[in-house]
Amino acid sequence: MAVSETSTPSALAGQNLLGRFFRKEVVLFIILVVGVLLLSTQTDKFLTVDNILNQGRLLTEVMLLALPMTYIIITGGIDLSVGSILGLTAITLGYTWQNLGLPLEVAIVVAIAIATLAGFVNGLFIVRLGVPPLIMTLATLALYRGLAEGISQARSVRGYPEWFFELGQRNLLGIPTQLWIAVISVIIAGIVLSRTTFGRSLYAIGNNELGARFSGIPVNRYKLLIYTFSGFMAGIAGWIFVSRVSTTRSDMGTGLELDVVAAVVLGGTSIFGGSGTIVGTVIGAVLIQLLKNGLALSGVKGDATIVVIGIVLIGSILINNFIQRRSGQTT
Amino acid sequence: MTATPLPKIAANSTAAPTWTRRLRSIIFSQEGILAIGIILLLVVMSLGFERFRAPRNLLDIFQANAYIAVAAVGMSILIISGNIDISVGSLVGVLAILSGTMVTSGFPAWVSWIVPIIVGGIVGAVNGFFVAYLRIPSIVVTLGMSSILKGSLIIVLGGTTIYNMPTDFFLAQQAWLGIPSPIWFMIIATVVGALWMRYSATGRAIYAVGGNAEAARLSGINSQRTTMTAFIINGVMVGICSVMYATQFNSIQASVPPGLELQVITSAVVGGVSILGGTGTVIGSTLATILLRAILSSMVFLSVSPYWLKSVQGVLILVTVLVDILRRRRVNRQ
Amino acid sequence: MTPILQLDNISKQFPGVKALDNVRFEMNTGEVHALLGENGAGKSTLIKIISGVYKPDSGVMRFDGQPVVFNNPREAQSKGIATIYQELSLYPELTVAENIFMGHAPKRSIGPLKVIDWKTINERAVELLASLHIYDMDVRRKVGSLNVGNRQRVEIAKALSINARVLIMDEPTAALTESDVEQLFQIVRLLKERNVGIIYISHRLQEVFELADRVTVLRDGQYVDTRPVSETSEENLISMMVGRTIDNLFPKLPAAPGKPVLEVRNLNHAPLTKNVSFKVHAGEIVGIAGLVGSGRSELAQVIFGMTPAQSGEILIEGQRADIRSPGQAVKMGIAYVPEDRGTQGLIKQMNIRENASMAVLRSLSRASFIKFGEERKLAKESIEQLSIRAYSPEQIVNKLSGGNQQKVVISKWLASKPRLLIMDEPTRGIDVGAKSEIHRLMSELAVKHGLAVLMISSELPEVLGMSDRVLVMREGQIVAEFDRAEATQEKVATAMMSSGQKAAVTA
Repeated sequence: MAVSETSTPSALAGQNLLGRFFRKEVVLFIILVVGVLLLSTQTDKFLTVDNILNQGRLLTEVMLLALPMTYIIITGGIDLSVGSILGLTAITLGYTWQNLGLPLEVAIVVAIAIATLAGFVNGLFIVRLGVPPLIMTLATLALYRGLAEGISQARSVRGYPEWFFELGQRNLLGIPTQLWIAVISVIIAGIVLSRTTFGRSLYAIGNNELGARFSGIPVNRYKLLIYTFSGFMAGIAGWIFVSRVSTTRSDMGTGLELDVVAAVVLGGTSIFGGSGTIVGTVIGAVLIQLLKNGLALSGVKGDATIVVIGIVLIGSILINNFIQRRSGQTT
Repeated sequence: MTATPLPKIAANSTAAPTWTRRLRSIIFSQEGILAIGIILLLVVMSLGFERFRAPRNLLDIFQANAYIAVAAVGMSILIISGNIDISVGSLVGVLAILSGTMVTSGFPAWVSWIVPIIVGGIVGAVNGFFVAYLRIPSIVVTLGMSSILKGSLIIVLGGTTIYNMPTDFFLAQQAWLGIPSPIWFMIIATVVGALWMRYSATGRAIYAVGGNAEAARLSGINSQRTTMTAFIINGVMVGICSVMYATQFNSIQASVPPGLELQVITSAVVGGVSILGGTGTVIGSTLATILLRAILSSMVFLSVSPYWLKSVQGVLILVTVLVDILRRRRVNRQ
Repeated sequence: MTPILQLDNISKQFPGVKALDNVRFEMNTGEVHALLGENGAGKSTLIKIISGVYKPDSGVMRFDGQPVVFNNPREAQSKGIATIYQELSLYPELTVAENIFMGHAPKRSIGPLKVIDWKTINERAVELLASLHIYDMDVRRKVGSLNVGNRQRVEIAKALSINARVLIMDEPTAALTESDVEQLFQIVRLLKERNVGIIYISHRLQEVFELADRVTVLRDGQYVDTRPVSETSEENLISMMVGRTIDNLFPKLPAAPGKPVLEVRNLNHAPLTKNVSFKVHAGEIVGIAGLVGSGRSELAQVIFGMTPAQSGEILIEGQRADIRSPGQAVKMGIAYVPEDRGTQGLIKQMNIRENASMAVLRSLSRASFIKFGEERKLAKESIEQLSIRAYSPEQIVNKLSGGNQQKVVISKWLASKPRLLIMDEPTRGIDVGAKSEIHRLMSELAVKHGLAVLMISSELPEVLGMSDRVLVMREGQIVAEFDRAEATQEKVATAMMSSGQKAAVTA
């Protein structure tokens, strides 16, 4: 029996410690801190309370979408339709309110319900018919956007009542209202992933779906649940989006899915599934937003800052691969 | 002491299919169904609307999305190899501007066409290197590449528009033998792509690597080099697509054509390329591109708002994939 | 005449297991040489060495009289050694002809271009198939649309296309229908006439007598004997394969069976569970013997709800149980230690703690919040109780030895406090020490804790040593039942392997 152990326990423990210190989240956090410090030397407008809070406002939608996306990618799936669901939500909200004459409160509920249904449909096809998630959500990326454009005929909806902007443009207790939603969602999502049976099951599914089934985990039900959850969060994000920009357009959230996936992957969630944390995703999303903002304030032209995101994205994966190979975590 | 030679047997033994069976297998292939779909749609619409059958309109159906078809040829090859590229839109934006900038800074038109194609190939090689040798999944690499390209575009040109190109620059506005050049490019790219995928050893290796990487290794196929090749070809095709995009109108906007990668991937998938790799043809993707344009044109004539087009696209992808899944289930049950 | 292939003193060691110990093997051209042995006897390792997948630790392999060393399967292939793998290595989306010639397709030149010559490929594929007397296969069809028998014929044609001189066939009939088997035999005879040497591995003795010229038997990684088939008999071969004395490895305690825990009546799930009925009592170990492909694991998965029954009844302690999913099975008190540890039993990338609690997470949680303290306690207890060699509950399972991994799977299911424990190949691929520990545990669980244990095993000594009763399965049916006292290796083996007809083996 003794022959079967090749390394001594202490050696293995040391290896583990090294691996733990260089966890993806830690690497990212260091990048984040260094980045913030560097940027704050470039311009004194960057590291101010006002600016940071305002960035939080802009960050909320991506953050909300990134939470279910983390769950989905951990199980080895992907959801490319979130941007389109967000757009569909916005249009449903505006259309049912202005054209069907529903009270705005009801319109909001209907819109979020439609978004949830959209996510449920994704999950149903993936689970019941075995359509690969990439292709299913690619199809609904087109389909849901198409519905938004078809229903609205690309007309925008304006003229929402004042109270509607409370969520997207005002503060609550000195902090942007939607940021409260983001923070609370992050905490709940983080706790659920790290501390509940459901969260544990997601990791099991992502690492070995068959093994999870053999352990009695209701794999299909959980997968259906996370895609539905993704739709629901896209609904909430859509509502916040409309409230923030005061208007509804059918192209809202176009391309957002890539920002969301980038935040999740940058946050250390493996695109192959099986590993990832909400903390990582939050750092990833914050890093992207602050780099964009900091560079813009330092005089880099607008969207040009996304170059850095691309480089950081690929770079962080390369660094992680390298560290894992060195610490012998991959076999 | 070697194995005794094999007896010679006529090649057309009972195993060879009859021509009716071959015809049926062509008709019921993805390409066959798409071609029949296009023809049916064109015939029915032409019977119903006089202006639909006007040569100009029919030509437009083939021409307008030809540049997408060229990129879709590259995308099909890439997906068959088991990878994907979601940076196509950004790359087209960058290469189109590169082409326009070169010609307005005095380079001859032909140089301004060739260089973007070469740069496209180089970008493809970079993507391929990360995927094949550093083992980063293609979706992540090209997601990052997409950001880098999009950002560079804005850094360099910041939303300007290029005018005043010399008249000999507008390649996509020319016509040869009465047929607009984009259609020529579409046909050539498709035919060359199809022949290459069918007749070259590398083309077949792409099918092998995408279909069963382990078996490919046992057959002595270098999967890393094969993956690189698929990425480079995709880059070159995107380069050609960019030149057509840049030369079709009299101005080039320094922006990324929205949703282009989605259209290209849709064409490939509806054309019968499995997202899991290993199967499909480039002919299918070209037919799918034409079909989508024909549907759009029909919608206009039927007074259906073109804003529903994306829904149609989504439904087409779904139907294609579901039919494929059902077909596989039937085969497995047999 | 020198043998085309000759192996001397071949040894191969894996962590914890000596897979081959000074094994000999030789074969001539035009010979069908059967390789026999129980699961784990070393047959697979031996053919993997011949085909270049593994390198031997010591020993010499000669091909055509010349010593050879293969670094990879490619090198073996270039010498003309081809293997028909159990998991077929084909491209389902490509045509028959292309599969045959993948990697070495005939080409022709058009000017400076070298292009694939489809006409020649298709013609030569037709010729190759015709030379195997296969005339009814369309070489332009996709391989994915062929049935298993035809796929195998494509594999054989592929081997011939590289001018194979040695062809290794590993359980080629395991998944074939009766008529496909007949066709395969014809092909094998044809190849033999063409001077191809064939290494033929099969559990079905009848096939060996029908096809083979000589037979080599391995047992526990050691060479037993090589004999001409004409000089041996079925009983003879069985005793050579299993002829190990049932030593004291298995401390089986005397059982006192109680009430029936599991009863199945006329259970069906096409194609490998046909009208199965049996009972397992509390405190009793029931062993299921049978060849690979006889439907043992399939039966277990029907009971466990992975592939719910199409008809028939399952009763748990006399109550009808409608089990549609593993989750429901777990609730009914059924635990299943599956056949394949790596893909079914464990989440290898996760640690011992997480694996050990996997089946009982619900009971370890409050309002679905995991109680980490209790989880850690459970993991520590499991490590102690089953003496798992690990430095901490946080150790990744992948880094444990096979025996310790299996103990983690067992601990996972013991944590669920089952009434019925199904163990599918509980000791496959683990070393002797861990093996006997698992056997002792199994015995204690049944006798001291009153569990009903249903054990599936391909190792006859294990079945005989551990079981109070032995059920024998063949082709999805239970064909024989023996009490502990009357079960002998010969009787059980005969029932397992006996030829085709569902003869009166029932004791």
